[in-house]
Amino acid sequence: MALELLLALVLGGISGIAVLLHLTGRSRQAVLGVETSRSGWLRHFPGDKVLKVLPAASGQAALVVTGNGPGLLWAFGSGTVGRHLTGSQVRETATGLRFEFNDFAAPGLSLALPERERQQWLALINTPAEAA
Amino acid sequence: MTGEISYPDVTQLAVPFFIAAILAEFLWIALKRRGGRYETRDAVTSLIMGAGSVAEGLLLGFVAWALFMFLWELTPLDMGTSVWAVLVCFVLDDLRYYWVHRFGHRVRWVWASHVNHHSSQHYNLTTALRQTWTGTFTFMMIVKAPMVLLGFHPALVLFCGGLNLIYQFWIHTEAVSRLPRWFEAVMNTPSHHRAHHGRNPRYLDCNYAGVFIIWDKMFGTFVPEQDHDRPDYGLVHNIATFNPLRVAFHEWAGIFKDMRQPDLTLKQRLLYAFAPPGYSHDGSRETSAAIKAAHLARHPEDAGTPGFGG
Repeated sequence: MALELLLALVLGGISGIAVLLHLTGRSRQAVLGVETSRSGWLRHFPGDKVLKVLPAASGQAALVVTGNGPGLLWAFGSGTVGRHLTGSQVRETATGLRFEFNDFAAPGLSLALPERERQQWLALINTPAEAA
Repeated sequence: MTGEISYPDVTQLAVPFFIAAILAEFLWIALKRRGGRYETRDAVTSLIMGAGSVAEGLLLGFVAWALFMFLWELTPLDMGTSVWAVLVCFVLDDLRYYWVHRFGHRVRWVWASHVNHHSSQHYNLTTALRQTWTGTFTFMMIVKAPMVLLGFHPALVLFCGGLNLIYQFWIHTEAVSRLPRWFEAVMNTPSHHRAHHGRNPRYLDCNYAGVFIIWDKMFGTFVPEQDHDRPDYGLVHNIATFNPLRVAFHEWAGIFKDMRQPDLTLKQRLLYAFAPPGYSHDGSRETSAAIKAAHLARHPEDAGTPGFGG
């Protein structure tokens, strides 16, 4: 097959499929509540004991306190991903919190959190696991 | 041996079919409201990985080709290009695929290349195209060497490899439940391959087949899909990026980061590269065997069932 034709097929195919999926609602993010966060966390970390779940009001993410320390579960497309926060850096930003996971497969995440929610999260993140 | 033989690049020729089949699967799912799910960024990432894999083949394919032609010059054997030669080559190449695929899950150096194929949490026809960009660096082309030395022309070997990949495209779907018993017994099917893509402890390291599932049955790695334990797609530790560069290189980055840790012995550094995925020098991570053991500790009722020694 001529390279020009192959390129046209590949670029046209990817673009066309992307537009079709987006226009039919396949770009919607998952929305996390208490139960979906709990089950979502246990799906990723079945050996953990979930002690407390604090979903963000936006539904974009949830702070999950476990016997192995705090973790963050967040919407990843229509699914979720999670990371324990041990070894991660968490810092305040003007609009919420910034998480750096020290993981090439999980680039940092910025979450918009109102002031009250942000302080509540920080308090839980900094609470030792045995005290949570 | 010498000789000019050429076969079409079937993977490239199949591109229009791939696009048409993806559209057909998507429409089927949308109309029936079952049989899988699509997500825009996930699908686009998979398609870009597929395009990148073709590009990698165009750029670096000469490495494997040079090796095979060197071996072809050495061998006194020539199996020819008869229909029987093509059929035998196809079957042998599928056996070759089984072992390369098994290495791909059991040797981290090879897993670093293959992991991206498992990195989607979805399972649809676009997942089939989420292919590696770094296959050349695993040096697994060496597993094709015996076929060339047996007298199968390199062009024929690559042709059969292309057919093998095309066969595997259609089994990446939830739209097909199960096929007739005789077919499920011999061939790799959507059901068998769904199990292979499952991150459930039961399905870790099973069903490596390309075309014929008989290899898994022969070598003890077959696990049938269980209706009460549906495959949960993705990785044990799912990646959190749709960036194709991170998808392609994240495990390589992980290997080199692990190998650079201070105070490791040379053996430990090498094990980070070549031991099964999940190896750690301090026991802080879990291999698939440890994950299965931990699952059985939580669910002893699963002991002896498929995937857990059954």
